[in-house]
This record gives sequence, structure tokens and C-alpha cells, in this order.
Amino acid sequence: MPSAVAGYAPNLDKYLKSLKGQPLDLSIENLVSLLKRRQIKGAEPCAVATAHIILQVVARSKWQNVDSLLDNVSRVGRKLASAAPTELVIGNIVRRVLGLIRDEAAEDRNEPQSEDPSDGHATPPDAVPNSTVAKQDSAGDYLNNSPGPQSRPGLFVSQSAVNIPKSLFHLLSASPPADPDHVPGSPFAGSGTSTPQHHKNSSSQVHALRSEVIDGIEEIKDEISQVDDQIAALADVQIHSGDYLLVHRPSPTVERFILRAALKRKFTVLIVTEPPRKHLAEVQHASFRKKLAAAKITVVNILNGGLMAYMARVDKVILGAAAIVANGGVISDAGAAAIARAAKESGNAVIVLGGIYKLSPETPFGEDEVIEWADPSSYVDFADGQLVGSIDVRTAATEMVPADLIDTYVTNLGTHTRDHLSTLIADHYKPEDIDFHLWDDARR
Amino acid sequence: MATEANTSAPAEPPQAPAPQNTQNEAQPKDQKSKGEQPAKGGEAAGEKKLSGAELKKKAKEEKAARRAQAKAAQTSQGQPSGGQEGAGDGGKGGKGKPKQDGQGGGQHKGHHAKPVAAPVVPKEVKPAVPECFGHLSMARRINITQADKDVDPAVLVLGQHMSTFALSDSITRLEATLYAFKKVIDSYTTPIGTTFSRHFTSHVLNPQIDYLTACRPMCFSMGNAIRWLKLQISKIDIDLPDLEAKKLLCESIDNFIHERVTLADFVIASTAADLIEDDQVVLTYAHHHLVQRALLQAQEQGKQFSVVLIDDAFERVGVEHSKALAAAGIPVTYVSDLGALRSNLRDVSVVLVAAEAMFSNGAMYARSGTCDIAMAAKDLGIQVVALCETINFTERVSIDSLTYNEIDPERLSDVGFRLLFDTTRDRYISTIITELGNASPTAVPAILRKLEEL
Repeated sequence: MPSAVAGYAPNLDKYLKSLKGQPLDLSIENLVSLLKRRQIKGAEPCAVATAHIILQVVARSKWQNVDSLLDNVSRVGRKLASAAPTELVIGNIVRRVLGLIRDEAAEDRNEPQSEDPSDGHATPPDAVPNSTVAKQDSAGDYLNNSPGPQSRPGLFVSQSAVNIPKSLFHLLSASPPADPDHVPGSPFAGSGTSTPQHHKNSSSQVHALRSEVIDGIEEIKDEISQVDDQIAALADVQIHSGDYLLVHRPSPTVERFILRAALKRKFTVLIVTEPPRKHLAEVQHASFRKKLAAAKITVVNILNGGLMAYMARVDKVILGAAAIVANGGVISDAGAAAIARAAKESGNAVIVLGGIYKLSPETPFGEDEVIEWADPSSYVDFADGQLVGSIDVRTAATEMVPADLIDTYVTNLGTHTRDHLSTLIADHYKPEDIDFHLWDDARR
Repeated sequence: MATEANTSAPAEPPQAPAPQNTQNEAQPKDQKSKGEQPAKGGEAAGEKKLSGAELKKKAKEEKAARRAQAKAAQTSQGQPSGGQEGAGDGGKGGKGKPKQDGQGGGQHKGHHAKPVAAPVVPKEVKPAVPECFGHLSMARRINITQADKDVDPAVLVLGQHMSTFALSDSITRLEATLYAFKKVIDSYTTPIGTTFSRHFTSHVLNPQIDYLTACRPMCFSMGNAIRWLKLQISKIDIDLPDLEAKKLLCESIDNFIHERVTLADFVIASTAADLIEDDQVVLTYAHHHLVQRALLQAQEQGKQFSVVLIDDAFERVGVEHSKALAAAGIPVTYVSDLGALRSNLRDVSVVLVAAEAMFSNGAMYARSGTCDIAMAAKDLGIQVVALCETINFTERVSIDSLTYNEIDPERLSDVGFRLLFDTTRDRYISTIITELGNASPTAVPAILRKLEEL
């Protein structure tokens, strides 16, 4: 889709500027439609937009305790994720924030807070923690016990507004989430009868949590903005003098990586370009080429779709990831899989670059779930009646590179193998948040 | 870098003003950038003071005009009046072996025929082939007037067609070459004091071959056919009168084309058509006449199958192909490039591709991108069937795609680069269909041996 129509077309920058003046709900709806219209697309813009809106949710939505905050965040997260199901980073950012909230809440709990009588004090003490934690944590339970009270739509909203049953204190003193029996017990405590003094206490806590979480989200935002730099810092290790590098439609991350290596080393870069079509610049990646030329690096734009022909010469293939799924598969621009396969068959290294925020704990069932199909009319003429009438035209925009074709993943945290990815996932996401995007579907 | 960027722009309009000719040979590029500065006093800006480069350019422009006329005249006439025939005597004789595809030869630099780029671009700024691909050869447009004077008009025209890729695939080129050579034979008379078999090859045929090679590196089938033709010529009895010798040769050329091309194509297409079964999904890449013929033939036989056509994204020859198939009533899915190859291959039952040549190690030389499809198909357990006439089989061995290949001259620029072919190793190919039957790729050497016996 030619998104280049300057002027009126909304984009990420305009959206971020609009955030301040708008009510939260409107901002959310705006972002959803921007995502649906692909006016914000690509991993980084999506991640940035998600981080911003979630920050707004944390800062401006109504919530009185951890539960309702988690609710609010995951509700908005689900909306965004379903607006752009192929942009896995949206889910990643939401999960990161959910995990962050849980961590902050856990810290609060561990801090010795002598007097912390909760709103839900009226309820049996053991029931409260169990129910809350189970509700938030075990997403699978929603799938299994769907007829529970939670499965009524709209309940979450009312809960966040009315039910204020649990305190931070109780929330995380909880037993492990493996206990589904308690799930249906949530509307129990709905009394909302909190005494003024409790309110005061919890509101100060809420305030503390809010600022902690906001700080955390700011950190995530910083991380996203620094990813390219941090990845580039690892370039020297991967790229050596005399190498022949093949890059496929270099993303800013890849460009930065190669330019950093170019400071120290002399090598040759082969750029695989996008096939010619309407609305495409004559010379692709011109500015990248210029910078490389300034560094006295030989650059060649390759005008081939199949890259096997070059593999005898190429030493390393560098791909930019749009997302990395849990099993190690990488979602990238269409054509990347063919290149990776060719490299693999010829024994060349395939290096994938992508920030850790692109690492998704999901594993899609099939490629079709996550790849995006492009507008065929940029390749075939719509006026060509014979084509339009009788021929099915397909053009992929992204595709999944199977995990077994990839040798190394370079993220802002370092260089990893496929086996190591599961550890990274465990470090960054809470197991209870992994399926957050499914809850909504299950309740419908 | 900066200076180079400057040079190309000002150099574009042909400039007559006098630059300093003291340094002309050494730094032609520098000079061009200075060319726009006002000339320094000393020189009287005469024609002779022009730099070598500019003189050359000017001369070429004049020539180009003449050439354009000459070309128009020649193409309209087809067969001009003799004039060139006797010239064979003065020819420079056998100039060594003709160069074949990627024989490792250089770029023919400084050869008599200079490449002529698009009119805007100054000739000296020929886009450089990246160093790592410098060993590969490339088709070049050669102006007809720059060609050797011994070259027959029919061959001249053929060379133009080849260098512009109007005739692009190996079999079409082979056929056209043989027909052109028939004309060369026709118009030849043996000079007194020599014999046909001794004189013709070295003095008449070789210049033609040189010219064709300069226009575009010969494909393997042409090499094979020319070797065969030379053998036939050498076999001719010295006592045989010219007329009969020529008749004999022309007949055997006709037979050769009939056997090795016409019949071969027929057999291969029908074998491939028989291979397709009802309810299959056939995947093919870009366009090749053999594949198209096979698919249309299967459709005529009433088979119900569908076709997934993956196009070469940088040379959309598949669009017309898919239209032709759809017009015949075959359900066609057109895929614009190699993206999401696995998804597109999922329901496919057989991959049908045509080879440009087969190496004796069983590797297939075909349009760039074929190998990627074959690999993915192999990975998914889909059989890959290659169609190839045995005239395209070669003794050579290629284990990677850069041993033999060709650079696409149309897309070679300062920024772009494209290889025309790639090599698919035997392990990715299930079957080769030839006119001698179906074979496994490892059987190529056996087929080659059999061909020698024939």
C-alpha cells in the first residue's frame, strides 16, 4: 500500500501529538483504526504507538487496584492486537507492561506495610487472593471454564469501576494460579464498601504503583528507541573484513548495523531490492547506499528474486525481523525465506536482527496466520481485463522464515541461538500473560 | 566519489569547447568536470585540440547517424547485394575458439566492437560490473557498422536480436543461428586455390561466430551445434563441387533442426503433458515455451488441473504466460514473486520447469530463481520435473551458479545488477524429461555418451 501520500494521511507522529488533547477512549479508537488501515504499520511504529497508548491507559484510566489496572491494560491490548493481528509486537508490548505491573505490585507487597487493610477485608481472607490471582493469571481457565461469571461481556468494565475488592497486599500473597476452582468466585466481594481510611491508603498505593508502572513503560519506550544502536554495537563481531553480505530490503536496524561495521571494516554489501512496481523509487535504498559509499564500502543492488545464484559468493545473509516467534521463526519481508533457504543450502550464515521487543512468546500454528498479503494491483494492472477476470493474483507482503534456516539472532541483549530464545521469553514475559489476546475471543 | 558524481552530469550534452589537452589521456574524467569551466587562454579551440575522449565521442555520434541509416537500409533489404562475400579473403582468419557462456574470458574490453549504451549516457561511463562478478560475461549491443566486415547480413541482424534479448531462450537462439548459417553457406563461393572444407570454417564461419559471441555469449546449445556443424564441414569431400557441398550441408542443418529441436520439443511436451494428472496443481516459474506447450497439451487432452505460476519479479514474462494458459481454460494463480513460497507450494503436486542447459554433473542451468523454487519444493517433498532438449546438454560441470552465468545488460547500471541464470544442483531435481526419455539428473553423463554415439 502506498502510504507515502504526504499531507493528510495520519501517521505515527501525528497520532502521538494528538494523544494529549484527546480523551483516552478516543485515542484508543483512533489507534485501532489507524492500525486497521495500516496507517501505522511496521514493528517499530506499532510498538511505539502501543507503548504510548498503554502509558495513557495506565495514567488516565480509572483504576483502584492492580486487578483493574491489569484489566484495563489487557482490554486495550486486545483491541489493538486484534486490529493488527499480524503485528505481533503489539501483543509483546502489552505483555511486557502486564508483566511490569505484576512485578511492581509484587515489590509493593514485599515491602513491609504494617497496616494495610484492604477494601476487600469483608470477604474471607483466603478467598480474595485466590480468586484474584487465578482470574488474572491463568488465561487457560477462561477457555476451559467459560461459563463462569467472568465470561459475561462488559463485566470487566464494571469491575474496574465498581468492584474494588482486593488490595495489593492480598493480591500477590496469593497461592499459585493453578487453582481454577476459585475462578467463578470473583463477584463475591463486590461490596465496594470501603471505609475512607482504606481509600486513602490504597490511593496512595495506587499513586505509587502508577508512577512505577509509568516509569517502566518509559523504560520500554527508551529501549525501543535504543534498540538499533545496541544491536549495531554488536556488528563488529559479526561482520569481518572482506565479507560479502547479503541484506534483504534493509530495515533501519540492518542499515545501522552495517554502517557501524563499515566504520572499522571493509566489505561488500549486496542489497536485495523490492521488485519494481508503481510508486517505487528508481534507486532503492539510495541514502543507505550513499552512506556506505562514503565509507568506501562496495554496494550492489541485486535485481533478482531468487538469490541462489549469488550464494556461492555471499558469506553472510542479514535479515531484519518484523517479529520473532517463540519457536524461532522470523516474520520478515516477502522473499526473505527464499534467501534464507538458499543461504542455508549453501552453508552460509543467516543472521537475524531484531530488538528483544520483537520476540513474541506466541507460536503461530501456520504461516498463513501471521503473514500479510499485499495489494496485487501494484504488480498487475487492474485495467488488464484478462488478468483481473480469470486469474487469481497473489502477492505476499511478509512471510515467515522457518526457524531451522536461521543461525543466529542478534538482539539488543546480545547474540542468541534458537534454543536460548525460550529463556529470553521467560525473562521478559510472565507465563500468565502469554495468552492474554485470547481471553476476549474466548468470552465471546 | 564526489567527482564521479559530477562528471556524469556535465558530460551529457556533447561539448565542443576546448579543454586542456595536456592531460587528456591520463584523466579523461577530471577533464570532463573541468570542461564546463571557461577554457584557459592558450589553446585555439580547434577540432584537433579536443581531448581523446571527446574526439571519440564525436566520431561515434557521427557514426551513429550513419549507422542508423545503414541499419534501416539493411533490415529492409534483408539480403543486400554481395559486396561482402569476397571480403572473406582478407579476413583475419580463425581467431581462436569462440567464447562461450562464462568461459572465464574477460569482458572483451578493447575489442573492435565497443558497447553502445543508451544515447544519453556517455560511452566511457559504462556501468562497472562489480568486481566479484567480473568473470561473468554479458551481452552487449554492437552497432552493425562496428561489426567485422566479414559478418553476413543475416548474422548481423541475428546478433542484434540476441543482444537485445528479442531471441532469448537457448532453443530459439539455436534455431535462428542455424538458419542464419544456412544463409551464410548459401551465399558462399569457394575462392580459387582453396577448398570448401578448408576455407569456409576458418575464414567465413568463424567471424560470424565471433560476432555472435560478442553480441551475446553463446549458449551451450549453440556451442554444441556449432561443433557439430564444423564437424560436418570437415567431413565434406574436398573434391565435392561447391554447389553440392552447400546443398548437403543445408540439408543436414535442416535435419539437425528437425531432429534435435522440432521433434525433441514435440516429444518433450507430450511426455510432460502425459505426466500431468487430473486434479493436480502444477507449479511453474516465469515463462518457457516448452512448459507452456506441455500445459496446453494436457489441457487439450481434457485433464482437469490447475496451475500456480510464479513470476520472475524483475522480468515479468509470466504475465503473458498466465494469460495464455487462462485463455485455454486452465485455472491459473499468478504469484508475483518468490514471497511466501511455502504457502504457495503447499497444495502443489508437481513443479514443472524448463532448463536452459544441463551440466554433466546433473545440475540444471535455468532462469534465475528456479533453484530457489526447486529447493523449497524438495523441502516439502514435491517433485521437480525439468524439461530439456538434449542439445542443451553440456560436458561441463558446474557446482555453483557463478561458474557459468550471464549478467543482464538491460539492468546493469551503477546501482543495479542482475544475473540471468542460476544452477540447480541435481539433488533438487527429481526427473529430467528429454526427447530420449525421462532420466534422473545423475544420468546426464550417460545421455551425453549416448549422444556421442548417435
